Amino acid sequence: MKLNLAVNGVKQQIQILVPPPGCRFSLGRGPERSADVASPGPGIYSVLLDGRSYDARVERTSGHLIVSVQGHRFEIEVRDPRRWSPNAASRRGGDIETVLAPMPGKVVRVLVAPGDTVEAGQGVMVVEAMKMQNEMKASRSGRVLSVAAKEGATVTAGEVLATIGSPAPIA
Amino acid sequence: MFRKILIANRGEIAVRITHTLREMGIAVVAVYSDADRTSLHVRLADEAERLGPAPSAESYLRIDRILEAAQKHGVEAIHPGYGFLSENAEFAAACVAAGLVFIGPSAESIRLLGSKTASRLSAIQSGAPVVPGTEGSVTLEQARTFGRTHGYPVLLKAVAGGGGKGMRRVDRESDLESALRDAASEAERAFRSPEVYVEKWIEQPRHIEIQILGDHHGNMVHLGERECSIQRRHQKVIEESPSPLVALDPQLRHDMGEAAVRAARTAGYYNAGTVEFLVDRDRRFYFLEVNTRLQVEHPITELVTGLDLVRLQVEIAAGARLPFRQQDIAWRGWAIECRIYAEDPANHFLPFPGTITRLARPFGPGIRVDDGIYEGWRVPMEYDPLLAKLVVSAGTRGDAIARMIRALREYDIGGIRTNVGFFRQIFEDQEFRAGHLHTGFIDEFFARQRLVEPPRELAAVAALAAALHNGIPDVEATPDGATSPWVTIGRQELLR
Repeated sequence: MKLNLAVNGVKQQIQILVPPPGCRFSLGRGPERSADVASPGPGIYSVLLDGRSYDARVERTSGHLIVSVQGHRFEIEVRDPRRWSPNAASRRGGDIETVLAPMPGKVVRVLVAPGDTVEAGQGVMVVEAMKMQNEMKASRSGRVLSVAAKEGATVTAGEVLATIGSPAPIA
Repeated sequence: MFRKILIANRGEIAVRITHTLREMGIAVVAVYSDADRTSLHVRLADEAERLGPAPSAESYLRIDRILEAAQKHGVEAIHPGYGFLSENAEFAAACVAAGLVFIGPSAESIRLLGSKTASRLSAIQSGAPVVPGTEGSVTLEQARTFGRTHGYPVLLKAVAGGGGKGMRRVDRESDLESALRDAASEAERAFRSPEVYVEKWIEQPRHIEIQILGDHHGNMVHLGERECSIQRRHQKVIEESPSPLVALDPQLRHDMGEAAVRAARTAGYYNAGTVEFLVDRDRRFYFLEVNTRLQVEHPITELVTGLDLVRLQVEIAAGARLPFRQQDIAWRGWAIECRIYAEDPANHFLPFPGTITRLARPFGPGIRVDDGIYEGWRVPMEYDPLLAKLVVSAGTRGDAIARMIRALREYDIGGIRTNVGFFRQIFEDQEFRAGHLHTGFIDEFFARQRLVEPPRELAAVAALAAALHNGIPDVEATPDGATSPWVTIGRQELLR
């Protein structure tokens, strides 16, 4: 199994040659290495590598994984050539900006409606969690294509709140 | 002594109070909103009563509902914790009117000290030094006169304000007019009052507070200081006792302690309270305000004095005399607290409620964790993001820092984002370790912080864990005994 990773933004390839527990893997053009890997709980990986013991914890978020090892935090994006992520594709795709909820919370105000013209930096929606209100802003000017969340709705982190496109069709 | 007490709070502080009441043999009545039906404070209580829907205004702030619950369950006293109704004079008075003991100061003391201007006047009366400032709202001419008398920089503050709104630092007289206009209009927008007053700017102040404790018989002591200079957006993040500054200067503790006790006495104070001071670079201290309740960071004082503040609060409320005098108080070792919040340090520290899928608390020598969470519990989005307080104690500051770094490494809260990983960088910072603290510390820390490459071997382990985890679709949903995750990886191997 070969995977393309971005570890804190740095591209890297990993190849799993033998699955755990007696895992064999290689990183980039590095040598083949062996590691004893056990998973004592969901998202917990106990890795014995060259006689040293590491405890890694993995959290899945929208778009990437957060791995903590001995107090160090790594943001890792995994790109598996055999998988297609609709989420990642639409965010990169074309000219449409997707306004995402940055945190789980409650929509307290919707400031735009489909068809509205917005300026870059204009507030689109206000999401509240734990006594803190956060205004989601449009990062580009254009026309509001859709508004997915209603006032009072509960949203999860990474959920699509609205989409913004070009003001007029591009020739 | 009381037989039954209602705790008008939730979260870690309700759990913390429950612990002491149980040890004292006092029955505990919990109250809860719909968002907290399964919260730990309800599960640990002897009796429980629903207050109402999730929003605080419909539950934890409903004085009438809390008093109804108290009557129904036949309690003798109410402990308000911190936040919510703890500093609400009307609530304290309503408890007394209902024939209940409010575990805290009198409604009159709360009222007097709750007002910024009244508490400042009361402090001045007691002889406590205050930051030089105007007594109330100023005109441009009055602000100019103040600047000429006390020198620049000065600070403009909203009379009705708080939380940094309407605040402006002014470095020279030529900037005063426009700054005053900006501050007034910001204050008008935020508080519907354009009134602004002027204070002398204190360069890089420390926030150091004194814990006081008084009984109903006129006895009062101070329990030393807590340094709370490490703040982010005016919110305390790390606290320690003793203060690294005061530890070098025992006279300063004595002087601040005396000033705190005098200020509290002047306001007729009893029970536990905290007098907050700013301390400038020349070790001059200035009265800031009084918190008329148990403080979030009270555990560090408990660890260095060996006292249980909640127990003392309850005993005092029941009419007991303080069991010690000032000269009996001794401080031992060093304690540090980290406030663990449900927030995402990688995303502007935005709050991050959700379900806790994994929880491993640090343990071992010198560790205390006060929290109200458990694995499988959903952190509600309606309340403060404080999840837990990680507190350590050791003989010296250096040992306490090492212990804290060790504890943070063991702390694992999964399923939500927390600031656990953020603290290590501060404890490894040379300025922090040298004890050079001030309220602007975190901003400067961010500015000077350079991204340190984590050890390469850790990156390799992280990459391996990520690759293996990626092969497991939604592993959190896999119940025990289901297909081993490795089988999934193995299958993928065959597909290669």
